Amino acid sequence: MIMTNVGSVPGKKIVEHFGIVQGSTVRAKHFGRDMMAGLKNLVGGELKGYTELLQESRQEAMDRMSEQARLMGANAVVNIRFATSSVAQGAAELFAYGTAVRVE
Amino acid sequence: MLEVLLGNLDLFLFLLFVVLGYSCGTIAEKRHYKSIIKREKELIKLMLVNVEGRFADGAVNESFLVSGSMVVSNDYFKRLLAILRNFFGGRVKAYESLIDRARREAILRMKEEAKSKGAHMIVNLRLETSTIGRSANKKNSVGSIEALAYGTAVVMNRS
Amino acid sequence: MKFTPKHIDENVNVSKTHPLAELAWLVGGMLLLALVFYLVLGVTADLAVAKIPIKAEVWLGEYFVDSFEANEDEALRRRLQTLLDNLPAGSSLHKYNFTVQLVKNEEVNALALPGGHIVVFSGLVEQADSENELAMVLAHELGHFAHRDHLKRLGRGLGLTVAAMLVFGEDSAISRLVSNLFLVTESSYSRQQESDADHFGLELLVNSYGHAGGATDFFARVGKKAGSRSPYWLASHPHPDDRIEELQSLISENGYRVEMITPLGDDLLGEAEPEQEPETAVDK
Repeated sequence: MIMTNVGSVPGKKIVEHFGIVQGSTVRAKHFGRDMMAGLKNLVGGELKGYTELLQESRQEAMDRMSEQARLMGANAVVNIRFATSSVAQGAAELFAYGTAVRVE
Repeated sequence: MLEVLLGNLDLFLFLLFVVLGYSCGTIAEKRHYKSIIKREKELIKLMLVNVEGRFADGAVNESFLVSGSMVVSNDYFKRLLAILRNFFGGRVKAYESLIDRARREAILRMKEEAKSKGAHMIVNLRLETSTIGRSANKKNSVGSIEALAYGTAVVMNRS
Repeated sequence: MKFTPKHIDENVNVSKTHPLAELAWLVGGMLLLALVFYLVLGVTADLAVAKIPIKAEVWLGEYFVDSFEANEDEALRRRLQTLLDNLPAGSSLHKYNFTVQLVKNEEVNALALPGGHIVVFSGLVEQADSENELAMVLAHELGHFAHRDHLKRLGRGLGLTVAAMLVFGEDSAISRLVSNLFLVTESSYSRQQESDADHFGLELLVNSYGHAGGATDFFARVGKKAGSRSPYWLASHPHPDDRIEELQSLISENGYRVEMITPLGDDLLGEAEPEQEPETAVDK
């Protein structure tokens, strides 16, 4: 599966459009991580646990999106956009969407 | 029996809300998904992409912005699941369907608007999600999610 | 641009797990965690409680008496003093500054609160027939103090509630559920604690009166009406018949004599009898 965030796959010609595909996941951090983050908030710096978690979740959103594209029979997703929103206290939604296409 | 009920009114109300939230929430969700799938099939011919699209000179008759949105609220049961899940961490499965429904509904409403105005395709779709109210799953406030879809509808010159 | 519309029936964005199954997993995990926490807390509380100085406990007790609006009861106080006077000289109970209060309440019960406060509900006094019976109840509560049971139960229940509040926030439904659940069940002592307090009470009764008469009267009465209303006393204590049996075997083992019981003094007969000593009137 080719993924790009421009309107085309550079160097290839799009022969067919299938429409929008999207993948999303809602994740929460467990209690221990929340506590550690609270402590880290005192001194600042990177919240490694959170970085990892969000990275993981974004990957999952991408996986779900490409799974949708695969079901449609596409071999590439172009113009991918990411969005993150906090849907509830302590839970974040990672969301990816793009256009499923078939390239030569 | 009545004595026990009155003594633990809090607990019974809580259980009642959970059961009520689960049954009503499940029914509403099933019904909503049914209508989403039905309308998605009806509107599937309307092209929807999030790329800009290139049009030859004179091919486009008219273009305009279309949008659709939906605010969806979580039920008591889902909130309980989310609170518990918040403790252990991991996928908050209860909210996945909620957002999925809101987003698909928003896209459908946008498509419906485009279709009623005679558009042939929607390009450059953008999707947004936001929480309404700061404390979405605090006890005494309404927890809700808004999904917004917007894009440019294009009416082609087809004679 | 060629556009091929495709509809996917499968929804990849929603997990397949049934919500009820998820609830079961989450609640199960939560209960398991709570159980582990409870056991750890229980062991620590039991170990720590024995080390808490009585002075600190008395200070802690100040907070608890506020919730019971009653003054020290003179008539009960005198009976308690008699029992205290008969304690062995080395007993740790002498460090307490005991108070005994009579609270107007139908419940047939008595409570031991931290800091040496004993609360007797008027329902118990109304039902009691003899001095010996009342003394046994008071001695039983003293037994709880001697073993410091009242602190142990507070330690666990409070710890669990505080933990729930820390995790879920003070006014969340879960915290309230936990505090309802554990502060209620924790308001009872274990069977072992009750039976230890019975032993202590019996010995003290024999020390004060010279015989074990009336020791089982109270439980006999509670046992008789056990079927009617499920009183607080029954729910939180072992079955009265078992306790009678145990007490009786103790009495025969130690060769305690069982003699005539002393009828309840006029000062505690309440409204039924004219008051003879105004300064010791009850329930007014």
